[in-house]
Amino acid sequence: MSLELLLIVAFGGALLSYLFGKICPQIRDPFAVISSVALAVMMAFLYGKTMESPFYFGFLGLPLILRTNMLAWFFAMAISILGALSVIFSWDYVKDRERTDFYYLMLLLANASMLGIVFAGDFVSFFVFWEIMSWSTFLLISYNRGRALGAGMKYIIMSIVGSVSMLIGMLSLYAIYGTLHIATLSKLVPSASSGYLLFLFILFGIAFAIKNALMPLHTWLPDAYAESPTSFNGVLSGMLTRMGMYGFLLIIYVIVGAARALNLGPGIFKFNYILAWLGAITIVVSTFIALLQNDAKQLLGWSAIGQGGYMILGIAFGTSLGLAGGIFHTLNHAVYIVLLFMSVGAVQYRTGGQRDLDSLGGLIKRMPVSFIGALLGISGLIGIPLTNGFVSKWLIYKTLILEGHPFLAFAALIGTWGCILYCYKFVHHIFLGQLPEKYKMVARAPFSMQLPMIILSLVILLFGILPGIPLKVINTIGTSFGFQSLNVTTWGIASETGTLNTINIFAAVVAACVIVWLIFKAGPKAVPVAQEDTYAAGAAIPKDRYHYTVDFYNPLYRMISPYFKDFIGGFCIKLAGWTQNVCHGIRQMYTGYIGHYVMYIVLFLALLIFVQLKWSLW
Amino acid sequence: MVNPVLLIAVPLGLAFALPLFGLISKRIVKYIPVVAFIFNFALALRLIPDVLKQAIVVEIGGFPPPFGINLVAGPVGVLFSALIALAGLLVAVYALAYITEGPKEKYHMLYLLLLAGATGVVLTGDIFNLFVFFEILCISSYALVAYIGDRAGIESAIKYLIQGAVGSSFLLIGIGLLYGLFGTLNMADLAQQIESASSISVFVPMVLIITGLGVEAAIFPLNAWLPDAHSSAPSSISAILSGIAIEVGLYAVVRVLFTIFGATNMFMFFAFLGVLTLLIGEMCAFAQNNIKRMLAYSSIGQMGLIVFAMAIATSYALTGGLFQLVSHTLGKGLLFLTAGYMIYRSGSMEISAFEGMGKRMPLTSLAFTIGAFSLVGLPPFVGFPSKFLIVRAALAKEEILFTVLIGLVLLGTVIEGAYFFRVVQVLYFKKANGNSERKDAPVAGLIPMVVFVAFILVMGIYPQLVIEVLNSAASELLHRMEYIRSVLG
Amino acid sequence: MRIVEVILAPILALLIGMFFLGLARKIMARIHWRYGPPITQPVIDVIRLFSQKSVSHGNMFTLGVLFSLACSLVLILFLPMGKICPLSSSGGMLVILYVMLLAPFGIALSGGEAANPNASIGISRKLTLALGYEVPLLVILLAVMTHYKTLSIVNIVSMQQNTSWALTSLPLFLSGIAYILILPAILGIRPFEITQAAQEISSGPMVEYGGSFLALATIQHGLNLFIGIALFVNLFLGGAGNPPIFFLKMLVVFVLGLFINAALPRLRIEQAMRYLWRWPTLIAFIGMIIVLIIRR
Repeated sequence: MSLELLLIVAFGGALLSYLFGKICPQIRDPFAVISSVALAVMMAFLYGKTMESPFYFGFLGLPLILRTNMLAWFFAMAISILGALSVIFSWDYVKDRERTDFYYLMLLLANASMLGIVFAGDFVSFFVFWEIMSWSTFLLISYNRGRALGAGMKYIIMSIVGSVSMLIGMLSLYAIYGTLHIATLSKLVPSASSGYLLFLFILFGIAFAIKNALMPLHTWLPDAYAESPTSFNGVLSGMLTRMGMYGFLLIIYVIVGAARALNLGPGIFKFNYILAWLGAITIVVSTFIALLQNDAKQLLGWSAIGQGGYMILGIAFGTSLGLAGGIFHTLNHAVYIVLLFMSVGAVQYRTGGQRDLDSLGGLIKRMPVSFIGALLGISGLIGIPLTNGFVSKWLIYKTLILEGHPFLAFAALIGTWGCILYCYKFVHHIFLGQLPEKYKMVARAPFSMQLPMIILSLVILLFGILPGIPLKVINTIGTSFGFQSLNVTTWGIASETGTLNTINIFAAVVAACVIVWLIFKAGPKAVPVAQEDTYAAGAAIPKDRYHYTVDFYNPLYRMISPYFKDFIGGFCIKLAGWTQNVCHGIRQMYTGYIGHYVMYIVLFLALLIFVQLKWSLW
Repeated sequence: MVNPVLLIAVPLGLAFALPLFGLISKRIVKYIPVVAFIFNFALALRLIPDVLKQAIVVEIGGFPPPFGINLVAGPVGVLFSALIALAGLLVAVYALAYITEGPKEKYHMLYLLLLAGATGVVLTGDIFNLFVFFEILCISSYALVAYIGDRAGIESAIKYLIQGAVGSSFLLIGIGLLYGLFGTLNMADLAQQIESASSISVFVPMVLIITGLGVEAAIFPLNAWLPDAHSSAPSSISAILSGIAIEVGLYAVVRVLFTIFGATNMFMFFAFLGVLTLLIGEMCAFAQNNIKRMLAYSSIGQMGLIVFAMAIATSYALTGGLFQLVSHTLGKGLLFLTAGYMIYRSGSMEISAFEGMGKRMPLTSLAFTIGAFSLVGLPPFVGFPSKFLIVRAALAKEEILFTVLIGLVLLGTVIEGAYFFRVVQVLYFKKANGNSERKDAPVAGLIPMVVFVAFILVMGIYPQLVIEVLNSAASELLHRMEYIRSVLG
Repeated sequence: MRIVEVILAPILALLIGMFFLGLARKIMARIHWRYGPPITQPVIDVIRLFSQKSVSHGNMFTLGVLFSLACSLVLILFLPMGKICPLSSSGGMLVILYVMLLAPFGIALSGGEAANPNASIGISRKLTLALGYEVPLLVILLAVMTHYKTLSIVNIVSMQQNTSWALTSLPLFLSGIAYILILPAILGIRPFEITQAAQEISSGPMVEYGGSFLALATIQHGLNLFIGIALFVNLFLGGAGNPPIFFLKMLVVFVLGLFINAALPRLRIEQAMRYLWRWPTLIAFIGMIIVLIIRR
């Protein structure tokens, strides 16, 4: 199966969905689902293949190349599966909206362009697909109108800054080596001077750090996540943001190579140290900011920024363990954040778009599947043992501790402990506590939303109990970067300095639960009662809210809120204001008086003469 | 062998014959520019294979250069003629439905004159002849800016006229000084003799000529006329002014600098000037709420980019600069044409009046979006390969200064993206207030838009289509000795 | 042998935990010049509670409590008690850290479904307090792991047995002090009894529990005491060669802690946070820096 065919299916699926939407709307949704599922199935057959072929010669004499290897396949598989699930989830979610054809076109286009990015064998195609991804995402983020417009603008401006920086980087490669073929570059670039490598890292790093929302370049993310349609959040938060991670892996380990990339730079200002510290700061700051959010999607957005920091920490030190952790965490994070967004989406769908945490509550009784999704999602996010997030975080912590970076490990761990607080807040405010009167009649999520949630929940458990399944693939990626192979078994990783064995934990937890359950069963049966019976001791209470949510961690909020604000986001807003003022100021130069204009012409002439007399240019 | 003279003669002749046709039938008048530019475009395309081998030098009146007036149809000239004919043709088709009021006959006549003048400028091999054609171009554009006849139009036409006249005077003085120095007006001959003269005596005419031409080329700070003129002209004329007139002005500057004076030492200065023009243009555009002024300032920015590219003065850079010229003509032409009908439908030039246009005029809005994406330089549109080449050329210099400058240039791109994407959001993601009836531009308006879009896409995906012509055009500009040899024999 | 350990360890821990609960009440009573209940009172209470009727607010309400207790039991298997450590080779300290977090999380989920504002307030305090003591605790644990260059708690214990207790060795002295300072917060005893403040918020998360729920929650509380102290003994007092000595060390630590804390009044949550994030954290950080310096 050729890669061209895959991309044709991906892009063709997008365009045809649009056309079907215009011609006969009934078959558009089934077609979109079938094409994206078919894509995922085709992708599965690509497992373990390595190939490379040019597919287009018409661009300025540069052949455009597609290639695949384990790294590309790993990302492509995740993209196509999560993409397919998002399309299924969208079925009901966008049904009653307007411009659904446009929605599907852009959703599938964003997915297809991500596949293009990971399969790109040269930087031109990489950049082209990258840009298609950027503008299709921009259009989708703006889809909800209103506040979404500001979010879209933030996203696209930061995206352009990133692309511009990448463009300079890649064209300087082209100018020096005369090729943009990644495989060739990976042979040539490692012998470049340290200064040039740093230059490359900074330029590409800006582009990828913006996409991966690494602080201080994260400002686009919270608003973009919050304002885009929730059914698209799956794609946006799952893999699209993590294209930055793919980019980092590409530039650090494929192009420059671990031997040169690590320890590059003077003293403690080594490139990978700085990267790691940025990751650590990202984790801590965004975790505490997430804690202060009252909007479910903003909260998840900030959490996603923080999780990006873990991935960066994992790959920054170039050990096989850490690399495995970083890559695995990318996958795990995608799985659970998509699940969490779907859960929020289902709640929004049934409650008329409500995503304010303080106004919800008690939905566990009405939407049990969404609750299980949310519960497993936050379990993965916290990294509770036997869920997928635990394994990858374990690998990352272990790397940091053994490499002798306890402060970084501390940042990562405290991020997790802060994460418990906001995760609990998330679940408690939406699903636990008292059910508000107006949501008493809320129905379960439709099947098209339940199905992806169930699948992802199972994946979280599967990867948590049998982490060896993905880790074996990741191990192959690591060895392809020239690292030594890890001792991966189906249920963990064996090593001398601490072994992970999930099957033992699993057995112990199951046994303990069974024992406790039996003890509990031996006692008298519990009687189910309503809230009024115990809380109000049977007395009638007003039908108001008895659900403690507002300012949930009040003392903590008071302590941290002066220090943990999105200062950089605020600065960017200010910067935009200043730019606007400067622009208005400059515009005043065109006064409208013809006398001034003629004076400009004469002054220009004078300037030319002055330049000549002063410096004798000619 | 077809004679390149026809490229100038046909539109010029038809322009003067147009009132006569008007006597026969008022209705056929508007089709005459269409016919003229179909002919020109076909002719220019026909000439391309020939000129790629060897520049065609036409001696008018049979006197060999440097004695007679001559036309030099090299790759540059033919490239520009083709571009002028293409834009002229599409805008003429657009004008069929768009120009419904006012003295239509005069409009079409002036339109033909303007483009005949532009074609003359790019083809002539004689510097005084260049001045003459330049004046034809300028004077007809002054008149066309005032075509609507409202206060703003007339005011800006007068301003344009005054600044243009100042520029023209400088240009004329410069040419006179050159003639006094060397006794010849042939550009190749001038180029040959220029090295023999002392630097300061050549310098004075050079700065005068550059200042004079710079007014039309919209180089900062000579471009103050542009936002007014471009925004108060009818949209079809704005498209031509932005897409053709200032580019022809820029061509003249480049031709004078590269071929006649070979002023390589000045390039660094022009690189700075280009970046300055770019940044100021983009920043002013960013501060605009009036769509046509925004597009006009954006043209200033694009000119700055092209000046910067030219000032790098390597073959990549010139190819990139010329490509950027082509992509700017296509993109900005498209934007003005689409904006024309959106203004017509909404009755206002304010961007906020375009809310919900994506629903009201879906095809026009789509075309606008594609034009905007292309100008920002997003793939797979034509703006991408052209910017790609320019950035590459700047980085191939491997000088820190150029790396910094290209960084500034791309900062301009970021600003450009910001204001274009803002408009795109207004088109698609704001609810229409009031009138939301779906009514797209008429067919005669849509056809040129579609053709522009097709060119933008095809050239964006397959830049090889034009790259050969651009390469040889770049080498014609870069190698002045060959130009001299091919003209003087 | 392994299977015997697996069964024996939780039972031992359970007994010791209940014994600690009883002992605590007795000692407190004596400090207050009262006679106090018999030392077996908690066991009697649990048995009584099991026979009483209980109410439930839903599945999560039930499962949360069960899950919480189950996780505490599992955690026992990871902690070496003398030579007994059934699950020593399954992830080490990091797993212990994480499993430690599950028990309160289960209670929190369960209390959340109770839809009682007092429970929610209690949980919010509980989680805030946890964040408060985790900051110094994580620094302390990282210092220990960095010093011994291992993630395995069994290795940490055996290294101490070969040399000296971590508390008395120079690099980890300050870390040990910091651990002592936060120990009451980890155990949830006074002055950090904020979560279950009976007079203010009707015992917080426990408010809706009755009958077998309350019994399970009490058992869980006992296990929690055991875990907090056992971790300290293992990390800083060199563990022990055999279980009796281990339990003796635990007893000493617990009683000393009780004496100190019986004299202190309950803190408000923000006072607790301010305390925890100031002195213990500062000391822990200094300890970590010393470890790093010595490692270089």
